[in-house]
Amino acid sequence: MKSFSYHQPKDIREASNLLGDNWQDALLNAGGTDLLGLIKHDIEKPDHLVNLKAVKDLDKVRYQEGKGLSIGALVKLNDLAAMDIVQNKYTVLAEALQETASPQLRNMGTIGGNLCQRPRCWYFRGDFDCLRKGGELCFAADGENKYHCISGGGPCFIVHPSDPAVALLALDASVTIAGKDREYTVPLHDFFVLPEDDVMRENILQPHEIVTRIHVPDLPSNTRSGYIKFKERDVWDFAVVSVAAVLRMGSERIEGGTMAFGGVAPKPWMEKTINDALNRMEVTDTNLDSLAQIAFTDALPLAQNGYKIPLVRNLIKRVIRTLNA
Amino acid sequence: MASDKIIKSRFFFEDEVEEKLAEVPTEEPDSWQADEKLAKVGKPYSRIDGYDKVSGTARYAFDMHLPNMAQAKTLRCPLAHARIKGIDTRKAEKLSGVLAVLTHRNTPEIKWYGTSFLFDTHLRYEGDEVACVIAETESIAEQAIKLINVDYEELDHVVDAKEAMQDSAPKLYDSGNIRNGEPGTYSRGEVEKGFAQADTVIEDTYRTQIAIHNPTEVHCSVVNWDGDRLTVWDSTQGIFRVRDGVANSLNIPLNSVRVIKKYMGGGFGSKLEAGKYTVMAALAAKQIGRPVRITLDRKEMNLAVGNRPDSVQTLKGGVKKDGTLTALFHHSYGAIGAHPSNAQCSWPLKSMYKCDNVKVEEYSVYINAGRARPFRAPGHVQGFFALESLLDDLAEKINMDPLEFRLKNYADKDQVYNIPYTSKVLREAYQKGADAIGWQNRSEKPGSGRGPVKRGIGMSSQIWWGGGGPPAYATLKLNRDGTLRVIAGTQDIGTGTYTFMAQVAAEALELPMEKVEVILGDTAVAPYCGASGGSTTAPSVSPAVRNAAENMKAKLISGAAAHLEVPESQLTYQKGMVNHKTNTDKSIAIDQLVREMGEQVMVSIGKRGANPEGYMINTFGAQFADVQVDTETGKIRVNKIVAAHDIGRVLNVKTLENQMHGGVIQGLSFALMEERVIDRYTGKVVTFNMHDYKMPTIMDMPDIEMFIVSGGDPKISSTGVKGVGEPAMIPTPAAIANAVYNAIGVRIKQLPMTPDKVLNALYR
Ligand SMILES: Cc1cc2nc3c(=O)[nH]c(=O)nc-3n(C[C@H](O)[C@H](O)[C@H](O)COP(=O)(O)OP(=O)(O)OC[C@H]3O[C@@H](n4cnc5c(N)ncnc54)[C@H](O)[C@@H]3O)c2cc1C
Ligand code: SF4
Repeated sequence: MKSFSYHQPKDIREASNLLGDNWQDALLNAGGTDLLGLIKHDIEKPDHLVNLKAVKDLDKVRYQEGKGLSIGALVKLNDLAAMDIVQNKYTVLAEALQETASPQLRNMGTIGGNLCQRPRCWYFRGDFDCLRKGGELCFAADGENKYHCISGGGPCFIVHPSDPAVALLALDASVTIAGKDREYTVPLHDFFVLPEDDVMRENILQPHEIVTRIHVPDLPSNTRSGYIKFKERDVWDFAVVSVAAVLRMGSERIEGGTMAFGGVAPKPWMEKTINDALNRMEVTDTNLDSLAQIAFTDALPLAQNGYKIPLVRNLIKRVIRTLNA
Repeated sequence: MASDKIIKSRFFFEDEVEEKLAEVPTEEPDSWQADEKLAKVGKPYSRIDGYDKVSGTARYAFDMHLPNMAQAKTLRCPLAHARIKGIDTRKAEKLSGVLAVLTHRNTPEIKWYGTSFLFDTHLRYEGDEVACVIAETESIAEQAIKLINVDYEELDHVVDAKEAMQDSAPKLYDSGNIRNGEPGTYSRGEVEKGFAQADTVIEDTYRTQIAIHNPTEVHCSVVNWDGDRLTVWDSTQGIFRVRDGVANSLNIPLNSVRVIKKYMGGGFGSKLEAGKYTVMAALAAKQIGRPVRITLDRKEMNLAVGNRPDSVQTLKGGVKKDGTLTALFHHSYGAIGAHPSNAQCSWPLKSMYKCDNVKVEEYSVYINAGRARPFRAPGHVQGFFALESLLDDLAEKINMDPLEFRLKNYADKDQVYNIPYTSKVLREAYQKGADAIGWQNRSEKPGSGRGPVKRGIGMSSQIWWGGGGPPAYATLKLNRDGTLRVIAGTQDIGTGTYTFMAQVAAEALELPMEKVEVILGDTAVAPYCGASGGSTTAPSVSPAVRNAAENMKAKLISGAAAHLEVPESQLTYQKGMVNHKTNTDKSIAIDQLVREMGEQVMVSIGKRGANPEGYMINTFGAQFADVQVDTETGKIRVNKIVAAHDIGRVLNVKTLENQMHGGVIQGLSFALMEERVIDRYTGKVVTFNMHDYKMPTIMDMPDIEMFIVSGGDPKISSTGVKGVGEPAMIPTPAAIANAVYNAIGVRIKQLPMTPDKVLNALYR
């Protein structure tokens, strides 16, 4: 671990100034659950650590009917998961939060930190100088890639590790970003970037930028939503594949909805064909089978992860069956 | 009092026969009989060191802090195969707080593994020791390590056993990558003839992965020189082995090395020998004149302190329509890492079932990875997975119930040496296990369950040695207040040794448990006992304690006779009293007697008796698994494991249950999750932390039901105890694999049975 100096700014502007304009000079610390590991293992080597803790108002959640939910970036995962409004209205988010990491990590980890956590590719986390760390090579492409992506990959093949991000994407959330001189809001969809656009970063944040809030629109009352995370062990495991579904249910058929996927791509993933097919879909075995069949037809699995295709298709059917029950 | 003699003692320690001269008593007390009801032995006493552990007062080697102690860290080779061309430690040495840097250049050439040195310039795996930095703090040592500049010449590597066996593969040793240059072989009968007699023959290939021991407590030593005497606090399964290894390496008398181990957080076979780290710390401590503590981190644990070798086993079995096994053939190879070890796994096939024609050929292969070490039932866990998979397939082919098939081929005597067992209570284990799992409800058509989540039941047999043997000695000291101290050179590696030793002594001398204190794990004060491996500790040491107690009793009677001036034959011993058989005035309490004798303490010694000639000592068992397989996700959940075992006499049913649960969990983990993954192109390990090296959590646990079908095995020893640590794990993966087949009708022939493998098998 490299030595660094530690800062505790009082407001966003000061924090942003401390972060500066150069990659790697300074890093934000929220709950530290990912960051400290990264620093200890020499994956990140900042000169400065900027702790967000003392910045006011970032740990609040507001809900306004019609407008929806506004979540401060420093809200702890467990606190968010425990809120009635989240459990009752934004079930998919509550379920994704409950499926995240372990109770201890959820007590420390924040929602902002969760969206900005670094990937879990074992080469990235290990002593391998790969593309994402500025090296020449993606070791996973022809290496041990059972957990890597089947869509959106190249030249790097990570999967995005966040569960809440998948739920938030299905909920059509957006994030507010504050920098040195401006604050702006982007749809979550545009927040994450693919390796083909920037192989060293998972999102659009500039060095001085900070996620301050996450907004989730209000939902029509006939919405049913849910999250299924498939993992190899029953707790404390990242998603092999996960599926978030937000469906507007009519009396006989699904009126419309969105699905988002984790564990399949370098960013939380959506397939337009699936969302289109959900439109006015009647939930029958045949329809579910056809929906599954059009899912991930463009996927390009690597040598060891082809199993994710039947897996994600089965989960699509399962989540709809569960919500329709 | 009994006299003694010296014998050549031979018994199975792990999967190899160990031979040692041992002093054994010529006479021993009558063994406790199989059905004998005892007052303390067998009872569920809580661990006598339980409070220390739970309250945090227990000090592990890791917790030792001596005044003025320095900290050491190891620089390990980052490449799979390399040669050191040059090494520059100047920057590291200049870092403030650095006390010493050890490398091959400034340390004596100390032999290691028989093939290498403490610091070798030929580095054969990622994790091989390059240098050791000693500093004021661990973090300084870590920083200094990064300042050491090593010029490596990178060599071609090979990390797969099959590739390593090719002539074209990079060589780890001039003599080639196959250990000893040839396979280990075994045969009995005529295997070709046997196959010719069969109505059905199946041949298949089964694969098991490399697994890492990953005990909770990392490897760690604290060393301190006092003049030319060295004390080592070590986390070890064998204090005397560490003493011998360290003394040999440093070329100092055995007398000068004292090894202490009081508590331990697991070893599983990875702590059966002296570690390089201990010797490095000792060299450094001498150089700087201060105590040194050296610890490994989790990554080092996953690279450099052992593993279970993998296996590719091709098995062929022949069977008649009536279920008679006519022939068995085993061909296998497995990777032992960069230094000598053993990947053989044919013992189950050779020894479990009655079969007259058997042939075995097995290769241990060097690859550029950390060296294999014994791991809880070496060879057997792998071997049973293959054998029991094959057996179930054979049974299905001839339309026979798998359990009936096993009973049909039940071995009534040892198959390899052709001698009787001291005892074998396996039929009862089959019966109990089958009843408890609901074997009669098992579906006979694999994969026929409805719905996406399918249930299945399967089973596996188990055989292991675990009889132990001499030498093992114990000393008893009776204090003038009537309290008793038991001292032995064994070690409690977390298995409950302290507690059962107290129970055995308290039983024999009819004393309350509170009066007994147990001292283990100190080579300076305790008489010799072997290392704790091979499930030999309890069967070796418990008779020594009992015999010592009986000797103590004899001494007390003799003392009382002299004091009371009556013949010894008139006196009996009962509950801390020596009583006259007829005259109630003539009795004396032992504390008073000890005071009368004018001694602070009375001492007696007990020795483990010889094993009976002409017998095999084995443990047996059977486990039954109830699983469900989600065919949409490939996930296997184990609902229940029933473990029914013959392990001789139970010493403590509570610690026994701990061993059983631990074994079953480790077996489940091996069956479903654990795997060391190595990147083929770089030869580097990618599963170096506890997140990527997957072990189950409490949420993944099955119900575990345990039955002990044996009473005691009086032929073996004065206590009739066999070991249990390894038997508990051996059949679990095989039972799960057979249950999975029963559930989905597709056989998974490779461990771990992770969801991707199940899905690939189902969606081929
Ligand atoms: C063992 C383990 C298991 C896990 N399992 C899961 C899982 O199953 N599912 C899952 O979703 N996650 C999982 N995680 C990740 C965990 O949820 C995250 O570590 C946590 O949410 C991060 O929050 P934090 O506040 O601790 O972030 P930190 O560790 O403080 O920060 C993480 C990163 O985000 C940056 N950052 C933090 N806050 C902001 C902000 N407001 N604006 C911009 N950048 C910011 C930091 O600079 C850093 O790079 C796991 C983590 C561990 C260690
Ligand atoms: S997948 Fe990405 S992070 Fe992993 S090795 Fe390839 S480039 Fe590096």
